[in-house]
Amino acid sequence: MTIRLSLRKRFRKLTANSKGFSSVIGTTFMVLVVMFLSTSVFLWTLSQNTMYNEALRAKNQEEADRRNENVVALSGNYSVNEVTDEVTVNVVLKNAGSVAVQIINLWVLDTDPSNRRYANKSLNLNLNPGNVTNLVEPSPLTVTIPGANANHTFASWFVTARGNTIPLEKEQGVIVARLAQGIGSMALDFYTFRYFKYKVGSGNILENYPNGTISFDIPKNTEVAYGVVLTNLDPKKETIAIDSHSLLWVIIPTSDVAHNRWWYIVNVASDGTISPTYSTISMVYGETKLLVFASENDLASSSFARQSTPNSVCTVPVFLLLHGTIGSTPYGQNLPFVSLYYS
Amino acid sequence: MDLRKAWKLLHGRRAVSVVVSNVILTGAVIAVSFVVLAWTQYRSSAYNAQYSEAMNADIAKLKERLAFEYVFYSGGNLTVYLMNCGTINDTIVKTVYVSTSTGELINVTSNITLMHFNGTQIADQDLDRGEEGYFVLSSLDLVTDTSYSIQVVTGRGSTFDHTFVA
Repeated sequence: MTIRLSLRKRFRKLTANSKGFSSVIGTTFMVLVVMFLSTSVFLWTLSQNTMYNEALRAKNQEEADRRNENVVALSGNYSVNEVTDEVTVNVVLKNAGSVAVQIINLWVLDTDPSNRRYANKSLNLNLNPGNVTNLVEPSPLTVTIPGANANHTFASWFVTARGNTIPLEKEQGVIVARLAQGIGSMALDFYTFRYFKYKVGSGNILENYPNGTISFDIPKNTEVAYGVVLTNLDPKKETIAIDSHSLLWVIIPTSDVAHNRWWYIVNVASDGTISPTYSTISMVYGETKLLVFASENDLASSSFARQSTPNSVCTVPVFLLLHGTIGSTPYGQNLPFVSLYYS
Repeated sequence: MDLRKAWKLLHGRRAVSVVVSNVILTGAVIAVSFVVLAWTQYRSSAYNAQYSEAMNADIAKLKERLAFEYVFYSGGNLTVYLMNCGTINDTIVKTVYVSTSTGELINVTSNITLMHFNGTQIADQDLDRGEEGYFVLSSLDLVTDTSYSIQVVTGRGSTFDHTFVA
């Protein structure tokens, strides 16, 4: 008896007693309510915090992408058409970063105190990592700035979709100009050397003008013309006039005596038609033009004749011989930087 | 016989009061419990709504980003070109502060008119994702070739700073 019996008796008494039943129900109910509410509020708060953390993570990722953007604007220079007030920006864009970049805007500012004006151009350029885009002839970037002059100094920058700006630094032009002083006033865009074939049965009309075929591999024994993109980077900022004696000279290496071929400069209409006569081509400082060399004869003294590439497979050096005037003084320059492979 | 028993039960007072009182008390407790449940749920809903609102505002603020494409000063007018490069639409330019490089405030403008780059007014007066626009602050007396700071405050309370040379 005793302790066990006593406990059983007390338990029976407790369960048989109806006093405080409502309190038990109330307490149970309250506990359930509190648990339900606290759990639901806790879970909901957790979901809200997850949302915030997700937004924060996305923000950090965007920030990291933004910081990883690294596009460089190389070989930049400006040319100005004073008649139409068009400023052309020639530049090579290289994505040296690790993320793809979309370029949405180009801004060009005329920093000359007499004409502090600016213009922008909407773009949609996508550069994957490692991509290089040549924004030079025949697809340069052109904006219109009223009152722009070739002697003015320009500043420009690109804007990416992530909000970064890519400056095209003024110093770039200075470096090119200094280089130009060493080798001559006219700079050749090495990357855009091209050749043209003639349209079949339609007179002297170049095929696919002005794009041509950008290549250093040329078909042998074929009538072709060559296109070179030149920019006037004369340190004295003089206008250069190119006369008809200018030519593209190819030395054909043979086992015995070297042979030569040459293509004299010609004027070409926008549809690719070669003019039978030649009128001097002038280029103001900073201006970039596509010059075409096609004639076997100097058009100042003879009529136009097509010139063919050599018959044999060979690699040849190319010399661009420019002749004319710079400002009011005579001008002559030899640009020797291209080699071609005829096959 | 049955009627008599029922009559006796209804009019008998012994032990009935305990049952009735327990039933009433239990009923009252359950009723009050439901009322308390409803009230707490209401309160927690209000808290949830408030918390949610604050959280969404914070998230929206986090997603906002304005890039300064160009700031140009000429003839007393400061033209500020912006782009919404964030990940949320409807970014409103609420207030613009212009100050010197030493932090001295020289202009506060709250009435901002946003324009498209082509010169037409932006209809909804906000910048959506990727949208570009500009506004002009007039009658500013800035010194040329001097550095200034501009701070743009958006409708969501984000601030974006930029330094420019007048």
